[in-house]
Formats: sequence, C-alpha cells, structure tokens
Amino acid sequence: METETRSNDETLLSCRSLTREYTRGADGWLSRVRSTDRPSVTALDGVSLAVDRGEVVGIAGPSGSGKSTLLHLLAGLDEPSDGTIELAGTDVTALSGRGRTRLRLDHVGVVFQRFYLLPSLSARGNVAVPLIQRGRSKRARRDRAESLLETVGLGDRAAHSPDELSGGEQQRVAIARALVTDPDVVLADEPTGELDSATGERVLELLTEVADDRAVVLASHDDRALRRADRVLHLRDGQIIDDG
Amino acid sequence: MAGVAGAWIRHDPARTTLAVVGIALAVLAATVLAGVGVGVLATAETKFDAADRDLWVTGGPVRFDPGTVGGIENTVVDAHEVADGVESRDGVETAVPMAFQSVYVSPNGSDFQTHVGAGAPARGPSVSIAEGNPFRNDDVHYANGSYDGPMTHELVIDRQTANRFDVTVGDTLHVGGTIETARNHEFTVVGISPTYSRFLGTPTVTMHLSELQEVTGTTASDRATFITVDVRDDAETAAVKAEIERAHPDYEVRTNEEQIRAILGEQAVVLAAAASLVTLAVAGGLALTANVLSSVIYQRRRELSVLRALGWSRWTTVGTTTLWALFLGLLGSVLGVLATFPVAFGMNRLVGSIVGFDGVVRLSPRILVGGAGLGIAVSLVSGFLVAVLVSRHDSVAVADR
Repeated sequence: METETRSNDETLLSCRSLTREYTRGADGWLSRVRSTDRPSVTALDGVSLAVDRGEVVGIAGPSGSGKSTLLHLLAGLDEPSDGTIELAGTDVTALSGRGRTRLRLDHVGVVFQRFYLLPSLSARGNVAVPLIQRGRSKRARRDRAESLLETVGLGDRAAHSPDELSGGEQQRVAIARALVTDPDVVLADEPTGELDSATGERVLELLTEVADDRAVVLASHDDRALRRADRVLHLRDGQIIDDG
Repeated sequence: MAGVAGAWIRHDPARTTLAVVGIALAVLAATVLAGVGVGVLATAETKFDAADRDLWVTGGPVRFDPGTVGGIENTVVDAHEVADGVESRDGVETAVPMAFQSVYVSPNGSDFQTHVGAGAPARGPSVSIAEGNPFRNDDVHYANGSYDGPMTHELVIDRQTANRFDVTVGDTLHVGGTIETARNHEFTVVGISPTYSRFLGTPTVTMHLSELQEVTGTTASDRATFITVDVRDDAETAAVKAEIERAHPDYEVRTNEEQIRAILGEQAVVLAAAASLVTLAVAGGLALTANVLSSVIYQRRRELSVLRALGWSRWTTVGTTTLWALFLGLLGSVLGVLATFPVAFGMNRLVGSIVGFDGVVRLSPRILVGGAGLGIAVSLVSGFLVAVLVSRHDSVAVADR
C-alpha cells in the first residue's frame, strides 16, 4: 500500500514508493554464487512521505515494522530496491555511494538508539568528528564542538570520555554530533530507547528544539516521543497504515 | 585523521601493546634469523680468512661434520711427504698439513670423554692465543721422515674445553685415539686459543700433527685433512696453484674462496634448511603482522562503520586506519629492532659457550633496516587492505550484526 503525503516548497525530505527487499542468505559471495532462487523479505513496501522545514515527523510502529530501514534509506545508509528519495533538492537514489556519503555529511544528522560514540575520543572529539571530513581546522572543530556541548548542557563534560558519561549524557553528545554540521535534516532512531523516562524527556526536548529551522524524523515506539511530533506515520509490515 | 588514529593508539593500551608486541616479534624473528644466516656465512669466511693461507690442498671433498668422529674427513695420504714436495716448489713460502680426529680426553686418566683433536701448528701469526703461550717448537716428532723425534706433549685448548675439563694453562690432559693410548699420553696445556675451535665449530684440543697421528695410530698412512699453502709475496697465486695441480693430480687445490664454496656445497641440505628457515621467518613475520593488524582493525569495524555513517568518505576512513596501522608498525618495528640487540647478544653468548663460535648472529645495518622496513611496510599494506575491506559498508547496521 502506498500512502501519498503532501509536498511543497518547504519540503526538505521526501520519498515516493520506497521499497526495500532483502534476500535471505545473500550476505556472502558464496551464497550469492550458489543459489539463484532465494526467498526475499520486504522490509519496506511502497512508502511515501514528505517532511517540511521546521516539522517533526514521528514514525511509529512495532519492532520489525520497518522504522530503522526507512531511516537508513532516508539517510543514504542503504539503497532502496525501488522508489525515490529527495533530500534538499537532490535525488538521493541517483547518487553513487560517494555522493550519498557527501550528501549525508552536508545535509543529514543521525542520532542512533545506541549512541555509537567513539570510545577512544572525548565528548568534544566525538562531536567534532564529522568536521574532520569537512576539512575544518582543529581550532574551528574544537570551538564548534564546545559551543554545541554548551547548548546540550554538557559544557563541563567536554573532556570526558563516553564511558565517563551517563546514558542521557551520551545521547546528548550524540545529538550535538548530529547537529555539528548544521544539517537540514535530523534523523533519530529510537533516541530514547535506552534512557529512563526523565532523561528521555530532556533528550526529546532537545530534539524538538532543534527542529525550528530543520526537518526532524523521529522513529520510535515510545508514546512520549511520538507526542512531541507534529504528525505521526504508523508503520506495520513495511507499509504506512496511518498518516496522522 | 592523525588525531583519531592517535586516540586509537592511546585509548586501549592493552590492545595496542599486544599489537605492537606481535609486530615486534615478527620483526625480531626476521632480524635474528637473517642475522644467523649472515653469521653462518660470515663465520665460514672468517674461519678460512683467519687461517691466513692462500691455497688448500685436499684429497677430495671436505665435509664439516663437527658432531661426528674427527669433525673433518682426512683425505690426504702421506701428508708430510706431500707437504714437503709442495713447499719445495718455487713461489711457495710454507706448506703445512693439518688433521682433525676424534680422541678420548680425560683430566685424570679415568673419566674419558670423546673430543675433537686437531693436529696443527698452534703457533704463528694466524693463531690467536688468549692465555698462556703457543707451541714452543715446530713438529719435531716427525723428524727426518719418521716418527722418531721427541714428543713435546704440548697442548693448546680453547676456553670451552678448559671449562669442560676444569683445567687451565699448566694443567695436564690425557689424550689418545683409544682409552688405553690416552692413559699413556699426558699432555700439558700451554695455551688457551679459540682459533681451531672456531674453525671447526666445536671444542678442540690441538697438538702437533705427528703427535696426533701417534696417539691415534695413524702414522702408517700419515693422513691429514688438508695441506695449507702460503704463497710468496712475489709469486702469482694462480700460477702456483696450477703448478701444484700439475704435480699432484690426485689432489684438489683450491683458493680460500673455492674452499668455502666446496665445503658449503657439501652442506647443501643444511644451507637449504637455513634458507628455508629464513624464508619461513620472513613469511611468518609477514603473516603474523598481517594477522595482528587484521584482528585489531576488524575489532574497530563498528567505529569505522559509524564514521562512515557520520559522513566520512571511504578514503578518509581507510586513510585514518592505515595511519593507525602505520603507527603500530612503527612502534612494533622500533621495539623489534631494539629487542634484536639483547637477543642476538644472548644467542651469541649461548652459542659461544656451547660450541665456541662468537658472533653466530651477525647484525648489520642492512638487516636491521630490512627488519624494520618489513614491519612498517607490511603494517602499512595490510592495514590499508583490511581497512578497504572493512570500510566497504557505511551502515551501522553492519556493525550490529
């Protein structure tokens, strides 16, 4: 089933008829050579959506409904089997892997459920990591990272390593990292999944605050998170069943 | 990139240390084994150079076999007569026969042990005396073509023999081809010298040739291992060699270099084994280094995946990982090269105390630089290749599997 969603001049991110199929047992080269008739699983089936600047869109659904797959596709971390994605005026599906990486660096900030901070770097270093690819000077990276850590309330924790931070602090560092390149779109995958309710509330506050001039897509099955969204799309078995 | 690579080095000291030690061991194995290879060849050359002779006359192939009876086959018959004939030729300064034979040795006439006996003139500029004196006389027992002259019963031994029998200069040792003969022949140690033990690669007691022949019962055939020839300064070595070959067609005449080649040629299996060891050491070093780096880089695949997800290009990720591998390779190589010195020293001491060779592990700048270069180059290349493979994917979902 395909659900049509609105699209206008303010739309920063949109996808149309997005489908992603995975073939079982096709990870290894040997399995690819040995079998031509493998069963496939449809993780996402004809999904369409559009997110405007300043809008927070929630993606709801049970585990396995396709929320993470959708976010990975929108971030250019994965390639769709069918359909198109447009991000900041660029057709993502027409880009090479290198082009998608560049687009992600320039326009997308990603917040993961498990934070994925680099344990060898300090909070400041983690926030500054994307700027290395941008070729920013060490001083510029440091200033930008410290400014963002101040914004998320961790100015005094800049030199601490991730294992010296609580779960909530780590997620705030991850949010600061997602914002460090000043992206147009922030994609957050279960951002409160590993946090207690009080900490989760603070993280959600932060995420909705940054939506002022960007588009935020929030995948979660946490009602508290979804209540903060301007609208919520409900996914089940890879299809949007309700575009609210 | 350097900041992230440096952070990886600092962040996990245990893993970094293990990786560095793994690379250092690979470098150490390569440098020490290469040092052994060079040392074996250099020792063989040094042995013949130290003998300070121009030509070697033998009765056929000469085989070094220190672990067996006599050490070297005695292929020259009527050695004194042949040597006299060679020495009488124009252009020849001296011609000296030498023999090596298994003997029984005892410090007290009862506890006999088999040992290598050398029949050689332990005197002259080619013999290095560490303690005591060289032989006082020439070989006077072989007088006027017979074995009727007085036996000097002088003995020069090496340090290992002195330690083995707990004797020093002035003490006596019983030496003979049989236990019975040895009981009747007591020799006085007049000097300590490493010259002949180095030559054979085993502890040695050295006496005059005719006295060795006397105590081993070989006077009838007057056998020697070879005859060493000194050519006069104003004579052409090649011409003298050709003349001796013409006069003694049953014998082979070789220069120092030819003699080394002939002996090494007899040791083809040993050389092949040594070459295999060196090859295996290098291949093992390559495999160990590559394996260590593959392992540590693979353990970082989640971080690499996250960096890709955050917008790092594949080549920035590969570059950072390769830089990290280079740091590890540099540290490991420096450590491996530094460790080579004490290990080589220890091995030389050990081998020296057992068989009398000093410097069986020879280190040279080329070996050290080669070892370090191996560690660094393999780290760089394997780090790059593994990083290319690991950074293929840019999804953190890969890291979650």
